[in-house]
Amino acid sequence: MTVKSPQEVAAGLFLIVVAAIGLWQGAELAAGSLNQMGPGMLPRALSVILVVLGGALALDGFLEKGAGLERWHVRGPVFILGAAVVFGLLVRPVGLAIAGPVAVLLGAMADKGTKFVETLVFGVILTAFCVGLFKYALGLPIPVAPWLLGY
Amino acid sequence: MGDLLGNLALGFSTALSIQNILLCFTGCLVGTLIGVLPGVGPIATIAMLLPLTFKVDPTGALIMLAGIYYGAQYGGSTTAILVNIPGEATSVVTVLDGHQMAKQGRAGVALGTAAIGSFIAGSVATVFIAALGKPLTELALLFGPAEYFSLMVLGLAFAVVLARGSVLKAVAVIFLGLLLSTVGTDLETGEERLTFGIPDLADGIDFAVLAMGIFGFAEILRNLENPETRDVVRGAIGRLLPSKEDLKRSLAPIARGTGLGAILGILPGNGAVLGPFASYTLEKKIAKDPSRFGKGAIEGVAGPEAANNAGAQTAFIPLLTLGIPPNAVMALMVGAMTIHGVIPGPQVMTKNPSLFWGMIASMWIGNLMLLIINLPLVGLWVRLLKVPYRLMFPAILLFCCIGIYSINNNPGDVIMTAFFGLAGYALYKFGFEPAPLLLGFVLGKLMEETFRQAMVISRGSFMTFVERPLSGALLAITAAILVIAVLPNVRKRREEAFQE
Amino acid sequence: MLTRMIAAAAALGLVAGVATAQPYPSRPITLIVPFAAGGPTDVVARIVGEHMSKTLGQQVVVENVAGAGGTTGITRGATSKGDGYTIMMGHMGTHGAAPALYPKLKYDPTKDFAPIGLAAGTPILIVAKKDYPAKDLKEFVAHVKANAAKVNQAHAGVGSVSFTTCTLFNHQIGTKFTQVAFRGTGPALNAMVGGQVDFMCDQIVNLVEQIKGGAIRAYAIATPERSPALPDVPTTKEAGMPEYEVSAWNALFAPKDTPAAIVAKLNDALDKALDDPGTRQRLHDLGGVIPTKAGRTSASLGKFVEAEVARWNPVLKAAGVTAE
Repeated sequence: MTVKSPQEVAAGLFLIVVAAIGLWQGAELAAGSLNQMGPGMLPRALSVILVVLGGALALDGFLEKGAGLERWHVRGPVFILGAAVVFGLLVRPVGLAIAGPVAVLLGAMADKGTKFVETLVFGVILTAFCVGLFKYALGLPIPVAPWLLGY
Repeated sequence: MGDLLGNLALGFSTALSIQNILLCFTGCLVGTLIGVLPGVGPIATIAMLLPLTFKVDPTGALIMLAGIYYGAQYGGSTTAILVNIPGEATSVVTVLDGHQMAKQGRAGVALGTAAIGSFIAGSVATVFIAALGKPLTELALLFGPAEYFSLMVLGLAFAVVLARGSVLKAVAVIFLGLLLSTVGTDLETGEERLTFGIPDLADGIDFAVLAMGIFGFAEILRNLENPETRDVVRGAIGRLLPSKEDLKRSLAPIARGTGLGAILGILPGNGAVLGPFASYTLEKKIAKDPSRFGKGAIEGVAGPEAANNAGAQTAFIPLLTLGIPPNAVMALMVGAMTIHGVIPGPQVMTKNPSLFWGMIASMWIGNLMLLIINLPLVGLWVRLLKVPYRLMFPAILLFCCIGIYSINNNPGDVIMTAFFGLAGYALYKFGFEPAPLLLGFVLGKLMEETFRQAMVISRGSFMTFVERPLSGALLAITAAILVIAVLPNVRKRREEAFQE
Repeated sequence: MLTRMIAAAAALGLVAGVATAQPYPSRPITLIVPFAAGGPTDVVARIVGEHMSKTLGQQVVVENVAGAGGTTGITRGATSKGDGYTIMMGHMGTHGAAPALYPKLKYDPTKDFAPIGLAAGTPILIVAKKDYPAKDLKEFVAHVKANAAKVNQAHAGVGSVSFTTCTLFNHQIGTKFTQVAFRGTGPALNAMVGGQVDFMCDQIVNLVEQIKGGAIRAYAIATPERSPALPDVPTTKEAGMPEYEVSAWNALFAPKDTPAAIVAKLNDALDKALDDPGTRQRLHDLGGVIPTKAGRTSASLGKFVEAEVARWNPVLKAAGVTAE
């Protein structure tokens, strides 16, 4: 039996894995009865349904011709998602004034066509615009530069 | 009838004072500009701008707040069309065809159609509220937990229909969304579920976090991998506004969308969310060539946007007549009203008529303002699209981060969005669509609550969903829609099997 | 060498002196409200905060940090620096019921805070759907006890004010009811107006207009005196259940190592806000109850919190409810 659609099989397996995590995490929750449904009933039911659906998808992947597996790139996700994570970690300790340009720079590195100086300047200007808009015009309590300005 | 005209006259005279017009305009403008920022939806916008309204008298403040609300809604639609990021549950449908239109150089047409459709819908809805406000509330009160549950199930059927690819994958990803919606604290027992011990998840996954991750970040990742298709607008911008032909095609969807949205918006408990989905499903099903949907069909923007706006307006009805906010945005409005010393309730209409009718009149004025503000802005937005992608995507990234952080002043939210960005990337690699997942997620919470409430009230009887007439009717419609959706696929499979 | 050291010390002393000589407050103060914007606690915080800004000369900025029944925001506030620039609005739930409801609570209401003072409280009302077959509180209690199996009691989720206060009510009349959970007061109220559930206990702010408009009926208000916002509703004392006295109180707290002088300044600003006729009017319009002068001191708040924790602990433990 050959795999006619690797993407379908992978998709099905992905669902089964997610459902398994759901079942594992929800294991200690009481399911209760239908009259008094406990917290565990719905997650468990949904996980089971997902396993079934995932299985059906995987099966389909063996039977029907379909798309092949797509390549997963590394550069994009690492830099874009990494930029967001770094922003989250930096924004309260050092403020938007630093976190902003850092996030812009890191994110921009996801694209090979980035030029460092241009992006840095852009990042600083963009951050300044955001600070002006969010902090001063709108009064959002987002830290700007606690180490310098105290807020 | 004379009464109605008299009331409207009172309303307009209140709303047309120089101060109130200015406030309405400011609200609409500011709301639009903030709502445009990816990551910032109406709730966040109103919460941010609430303090601005403190300096003004109650009526003026409410007019301004309403303006901010519509502006934010429309701004959210703008982002959905331009950069494929839904700021709110109601914008999810707009991304489907709206962004495709933008990619084809028809961003202006999409934006213009949305604006015009919203205006028409808003005007009709305003008349609706003025004339039928009270009786419509009685209708809304007929909806108990069982009816809501059946309505949500109907909503899920919409989600299946609006999926573009295989039905099996659509159903699967909807259930994934449902599973994600169970994360958080159980309502009845207070126990934490599926939170992995992470305190930030104790209140469940925030819609904005999920949407921003699987749409916003994943979209950026997707574009980075396909340098050929990533510049949002290739070549000439084309028309800035809809042509006569476009308008002719949009009129009927707008009418239908307005009807659907207006009725669904009255239902407390976020019935308004279903409006755009219902409209999209309807348009797709009655179109002569359904395969156009998902590729830039203008009906797929006109109808849902009209439904969106009509629902946003009629959502005020339970608020103004009963004093009960139907969703989180209205709850904010209640808070705002309370801060200004006006406590909404059944008596506002009689005790404070100039406030009540002034608000209704200013709703219409707000819609007009939005049209006036946004049509010229279309040119600006479309020009912004020409910014080279290598500069645009870091900007989108930064706005998303700031927007997400400002929802709850919680950096953990930003990190979680990154996680969902990865999940969204995985979904894309496996060939799943994100839109049905979001709908499953939004409906999931409501479905579970209402299901459990209905079961508790009926003391464990499943039959309650069928016994209660309204609920039973909704379930019957659901079954019908599912059959219509699945049947062509089944037939196709049979034909293929035949040929082999 | 010595002269250099003295010069350095003097310079340092000067800098330190300048830094601490900056009078408090020299920049905006963050007031953490552990609930979503627009709710009763948020409204009280904003009304009071607005006036305090005038007295203190610096803006009091409300920051909403909602979650887990209010404990997320309070945890954030409790772990902030005690320099007076972060304070928080706690209430009956976060500083009274929380220890009993959340075993893994990360703060101790009696130890981890410097109490500033009580702000406004909102009385609790016992309300039922409009055609409930009972004329007054006594009949109501008798009726629900007799029909306990059929009655549906609504609340806004475990950890909410409506939940804890109704649990107290059930405890005092000695009956358990089928509790139907809703996501927030809005949906619960909606279900009651539509007649799908029978009764609930909630803050006056959320209910006053519905009662006045006749959409629901109120049996009693759980305070010693009638509320000016609802003069026709008898107190629980008058209606025969004097032991049911509960108010959703709100109070300002600062992190525990905040200097006493700063706490005193904040208390003074709060006091002035509660004396201001404009602020009082707005709070009264909500149905809020403003504490007397004696009840506004930081010391009395500290004792009050201890009493509240002691009060809610047995009630909630007996009902077998924990949020985890």
